[in-house]
Amino acid sequence: MRPQPGLNSALRRSADSRRQPALGQQWLVSIASRNGRERIELVDLRTRQPVPLPGLNQAGSQPVSASVSGNGKRIAFIRTREGRTELMLYRRDAGALQRLPVEPSGVPREVSLDGEGRRLAVQVSREGRWDVDVIRLP
Amino acid sequence: MAGLSTAGCSGRSRRAPSGLLSAQQQQPSLSGDGSKLAVIADQRGRPTVQLRDLKSGQPLQLRHFSRHQPHSSPSLSWNGRYLAAVIQRGNRRLVLIEDRLTGRAHPLRLPAGRDPVTLSLAPDARELAVQTAEQGRWQVEVFNLSELLEADRAGGRRETTTMQDP
Repeated sequence: MRPQPGLNSALRRSADSRRQPALGQQWLVSIASRNGRERIELVDLRTRQPVPLPGLNQAGSQPVSASVSGNGKRIAFIRTREGRTELMLYRRDAGALQRLPVEPSGVPREVSLDGEGRRLAVQVSREGRWDVDVIRLP
Repeated sequence: MAGLSTAGCSGRSRRAPSGLLSAQQQQPSLSGDGSKLAVIADQRGRPTVQLRDLKSGQPLQLRHFSRHQPHSSPSLSWNGRYLAAVIQRGNRRLVLIEDRLTGRAHPLRLPAGRDPVTLSLAPDARELAVQTAEQGRWQVEVFNLSELLEADRAGGRRETTTMQDP
């Protein structure tokens, strides 16, 4: 197990704190905190640079969990916004943000995407118990 | 009884057969090919990693995750050859990676006595990202595993081996 000092010091320098890492093939998504505000951030592991995610982090939203597809094209995440907890899908090529329904209704907590971003697993609280839903995406 | 359901994006969901997965499942992780799902479920009151084949709905046996609970933060490689999770050994947390092809276990202690909080294995298992606590703040560190593990890539090695006649 070999640390990657250049990448790790860049991750450390670029945020006050960072949590919930999820790896794609050459991508790292995590929740980074700066000046008391948390944002979902995607880093290209080859260049060690953050990748712009226009429209993903919206004012007044608090990220809870995030996952990137293996190919880096899709990010699934959970956010709280205006008192609601929502399961979201972001398509990088279109910069498109879509809310995914959780049915039967429940409160999503943690999400995982597969390699192509076509299947999603989400932990959901329903009537005081934790379920795991698997959702196929178009 | 099991809290595993499948749904299309349009919304309608159905409950999968319960199998041996118990209720109260948390921290789901899909394999890269989407064929397997790892979760944390209570086993006699102890949070334990469980693995299931999504096509058959059947649980898959794990050799090295029957003790050292509580387990947390499971993560799978592309074909599900490798399963990584945080385990507890004594008063220390460490990363355990099970190679389901060879049956080997790879326990990994983080440098400088740091404890892993959450982790993520890259789909090809060449890298591991770990959340740690350092001086009161969360950090993410990435480790290269290429000297430890063979790659598990899309269309790569299958999990079954052919028995040779003597």
